[in-house]
Amino acid sequence: MATVQLRNIMKVYPFVSGEQKKGKKKKTDEPEKKSNLQITDEGVVAVQAFDLDIADKEFIVLVGPSGCGKSTTLRMVAGLEEISGGELYIDGQLMNDKAPKDRDIAMVFQNYALYPHMSVYDNMAFSLKLRKVPKDEIDVKVREAAAILDITQYLERKPKALSGGQRQRVAIGRAIVRNPKVMLMDEPLSNLDAKLRNEMRAEILKLRQRIDTTFMYVTHDQTEAMTLGDRIVIMKDGYIQQIGTPQEVFNHPANLFVAGFIGMPVMNFFDAELKKDGNKYFVEVGGYRVELAPEKEKRLLANNVSSQPITLGVRPEHTDVGDSGVSAKVDVAEMMGSSVHLHVNANGKDVIIIVPTIDMESNYKFGDTVHFSFSGKVAHVFSKETSKNLEY
Amino acid sequence: MNKKQRKSEFNKYTTKDKAILYAGYVILGLFIAAIVVPVIYIILASFIDPVTLQNSGLTFDFSKWTITAYERVMGNDQIWTGFRNALIYSVLFTLISVIVTLLAAYPMSRADFKGRGFFNAIFVITMFFGGGLIPTYLLISRMHMLDTIWAILLPGAFSVWNMIIARTYYMGIPRDLQEAAEVDGATEMVYFFQILLPVCTPIIATIAMWQFVGMWNSYFDAMIYLNSASKQPLQLVLRSILIQNQPEPGMVSDMQSTAERAQLAELLKYATIIISSLPLMIMYPFFQKYFDSGIMAGAVKG
Repeated sequence: MATVQLRNIMKVYPFVSGEQKKGKKKKTDEPEKKSNLQITDEGVVAVQAFDLDIADKEFIVLVGPSGCGKSTTLRMVAGLEEISGGELYIDGQLMNDKAPKDRDIAMVFQNYALYPHMSVYDNMAFSLKLRKVPKDEIDVKVREAAAILDITQYLERKPKALSGGQRQRVAIGRAIVRNPKVMLMDEPLSNLDAKLRNEMRAEILKLRQRIDTTFMYVTHDQTEAMTLGDRIVIMKDGYIQQIGTPQEVFNHPANLFVAGFIGMPVMNFFDAELKKDGNKYFVEVGGYRVELAPEKEKRLLANNVSSQPITLGVRPEHTDVGDSGVSAKVDVAEMMGSSVHLHVNANGKDVIIIVPTIDMESNYKFGDTVHFSFSGKVAHVFSKETSKNLEY
Repeated sequence: MNKKQRKSEFNKYTTKDKAILYAGYVILGLFIAAIVVPVIYIILASFIDPVTLQNSGLTFDFSKWTITAYERVMGNDQIWTGFRNALIYSVLFTLISVIVTLLAAYPMSRADFKGRGFFNAIFVITMFFGGGLIPTYLLISRMHMLDTIWAILLPGAFSVWNMIIARTYYMGIPRDLQEAAEVDGATEMVYFFQILLPVCTPIIATIAMWQFVGMWNSYFDAMIYLNSASKQPLQLVLRSILIQNQPEPGMVSDMQSTAERAQLAELLKYATIIISSLPLMIMYPFFQKYFDSGIMAGAVKG
């Protein structure tokens, strides 16, 4: 149990000799590409300007696509990667130069990383033995953790005699026996099949209630992020894109990337025009005019937003099929059980609409014409220039 | 796969494939025969009466079989001294060599080891350029190691080839394992001895086996550096029996005629070869359990 503060954390991987030449060549040939690749004279920048305060016992999830720097950030907190710049505090103490063993953290790896020659019991007891904890105490702690994770019956087995799910439980058990200040998890469920992943997700939620410590959890799966996290940190290209509760990032995405990354199916985006008429704001898209909700208008007014071309975002679940609205042709109708994901084409633009099956009056077929609309409450307006949400 | 399935699999091959397959079997068969036939011959010949062996070759008339050669070999003190020396040299050499090799290979396997390239170059140079016999002899002499066990144990204890093999094996161990150990609180030493070495038993067993067999079969260093008969290993004794055709005098001194002596000397060669090979043959099955390719199973997601 501890607070964690990351202050302007940066990670730069220095060039090895061959890469440096390559990097320099790129610098002269394609200067404009340099910043996109996050290449500086020092090396490749994996994480930068990372500022985050994690409260005691908070469950923070770092989420983002591959290569966004989320695992690197976690590994810097663990002490497995050197911190190139900035400061890391755990429980108020500067940890930049402390070895992993002196940080009082535990980590669950994506690949389990179990010691293959040791039994499950010994795997879990290893860290306690190194800390010279009395044998009786080790036994109590290991058995307690095993009971929590329901692996008591496997304590004498070697990891190779366990299934993937059981191995991941052992890996979690190895982390929790120590009762660490901070529990770090690096995509712990990504090697499991879909069913087991769902089960383990629920297990982690239960575990969280029982062990009551600070969690930092890395995943590329937004469902895991939304269901597990008290707050989510969305990352891209080494930068934080948004920090917020699952509801905040879903309902108020800070930019186009977050809007597209969070939510499944992804948000629909349209080229549109934002019109300001006095204190009123409207969006015009494909001849369809939508008046924005008063709270949105208030925020746009506060930001002094003027009429401009925008990218309009509307989530598939917030789009309604009806008799009026934008006309579109059905391409594909995916039956998902409780809903149908309707892929339609509106003036050459692919749009996804979620239609609850309870509301479905007929089966949709390829080529059917439908009309869809959305309310001004659920429309998100993004700047064409900066990709930022104009409301914030 | 049952016999029927195998047959149907075989029928899928083209005639050309079948011809290549058969040719492969024949060549492999010849290789096996080239190894097995002499071994069987030596085993059988060592039990046959020397006169019969010389006159009519191998026979399965058991009345002509004898264990005289074994009795004489086992009764010879020099053989036993050689045996004891060979065992001591082989065990100690293997121990020293494995320890030195494994310890040297560890830093060389670490990308964060500063000076890795330099040390690598130093090691590799020795693979291409040796000191030569006379300078090495002079060095051993100046270090006052002549006619001591150290002249046998130390010069060849570090093998660059084995170090490279061990280093490559270490590099194949997932990095996650070390990171997990680091987070668990393991120091570099704890990781090396408690995590890395136990998962490297296949390569340790392989290197140990090579070094043991190498030392057991070697005679050259002993011939050059050891003068005392009491320090000679078995292979040196065996060499004098085999190459120089001079069995230990005690083994044949009671024979009346020169012909009888020569016949018995031939038989003694075979018995000595078998006796000197026995330890290796007995040892192999004990090592085999460590050649477990599945040692890393379950450590990380495969």
